[in-house]
Amino acid sequence: MNPPLSSQYLRFAAVIGLLMPTLALAHVGQGDVSGGFIAGFEHPILGLDHVVAMIAVGLWGAQLGPPAIWVLPVTFPLVMALGGLLGGLGVELPSVEIGIATSAVVLGAMVTLAMRPPLWVAGVLVGLFAIFHGYAHGAELPESANPLTYALGFVVATGSLHLVGITLGLANRWSWGTRSLQAGGAVIASCGVYFLLPHLAGA
Amino acid sequence: MGAGSRAFAARAGAALGLVFGADVACAHVASAQAGAFYAGLLHPLTAPEHVLPMLALGLLAGQQGLHEGQGALLALVIALVAGAGLAPNGLTPSWISLLNVGWLVVIGGLVAASWRLPIGLLYALALGFGATHGYANGAALPSGLSPAIFILGLATAALLTTGYGLVVADALSRLKPAWPRVAVRVAGSWVAAVGILVLGMGGKAFGGL
Repeated sequence: MNPPLSSQYLRFAAVIGLLMPTLALAHVGQGDVSGGFIAGFEHPILGLDHVVAMIAVGLWGAQLGPPAIWVLPVTFPLVMALGGLLGGLGVELPSVEIGIATSAVVLGAMVTLAMRPPLWVAGVLVGLFAIFHGYAHGAELPESANPLTYALGFVVATGSLHLVGITLGLANRWSWGTRSLQAGGAVIASCGVYFLLPHLAGA
Repeated sequence: MGAGSRAFAARAGAALGLVFGADVACAHVASAQAGAFYAGLLHPLTAPEHVLPMLALGLLAGQQGLHEGQGALLALVIALVAGAGLAPNGLTPSWISLLNVGWLVVIGGLVAASWRLPIGLLYALALGFGATHGYANGAALPSGLSPAIFILGLATAALLTTGYGLVVADALSRLKPAWPRVAVRVAGSWVAAVGILVLGMGGKAFGGL
């Protein structure tokens, strides 16, 4: 007889057995995770005007260094959510799409020129644009989605875009990185101009 | 039949018995009240509106340090059990659902601010949060399940998630580089932003929680 071997069998069998009820119970939840979360997560990522502006926020934060590098990712989601609150409550905000396109132009230009204004100026500028971005998302909630999972997906996507920008911006410590960041800022600003053109032509 | 093959047959039989026995046992769990425990455990764990603020409360407690913050776990569980025990079965009143979204903003915002709180305020937050969340979870007790064991499951879920947040935030705060502490603050900011957005997108949609 070989007791260790048989106890191995028993342990394995017990693990399999224990897993089964868990699988069966897995749909007890009431959270509607997939429905709202995916819609919310896609929303900022599928709109290129949001993507470039969020990346620009991260790049600029990394260029400015501490404390901006962490002040921006902590405060941006909060200010953006306040914009979403305005959008959800139906408060009228003029020219939201123009504001979003302008944010890409201005933030891209800041990164291109490696501007270093005082922290509060950078904060107010980014905060102003954050309100426009949040407003657009808040006003566009699909009827069917669970608001919480939608908001969660949306905040996680936006925050991840900041983190991507900050991570890319860490290249700023090398001279080639500084130049690449400025080139990236120029690309973002030109995207902003491209988004802005139809609005200007239409006006 | 040799002794070896008999032993093998016995082992195989034991394995099969355990594998299929678990399924059979599954059919009995409701009457054994294991179902009530799992229902209580999973009700908050499968809903982000409960997991997020519990994690955030844990992070807030952990930011105060393991020693100072751990009392919040006890306060949370006491209030949760009281709230769940007193909740009548049925729909949660919308003001309690609204308050539960509000906790996301308050607790997430405090984590983002990373303030050192008076310890009494931390306990008061844990008590208030626990009471309204306990109510919302307790009101959702499925019929036929033991309330006491359902609430035991709720308390276990709350202890696990909040305790996890507490330990993680405390461990990160002991690290040398600053960015893990910033990451905790960013997490708090995200939680608060979710709360604000939900308030904006219509607390009314939350009346049914």
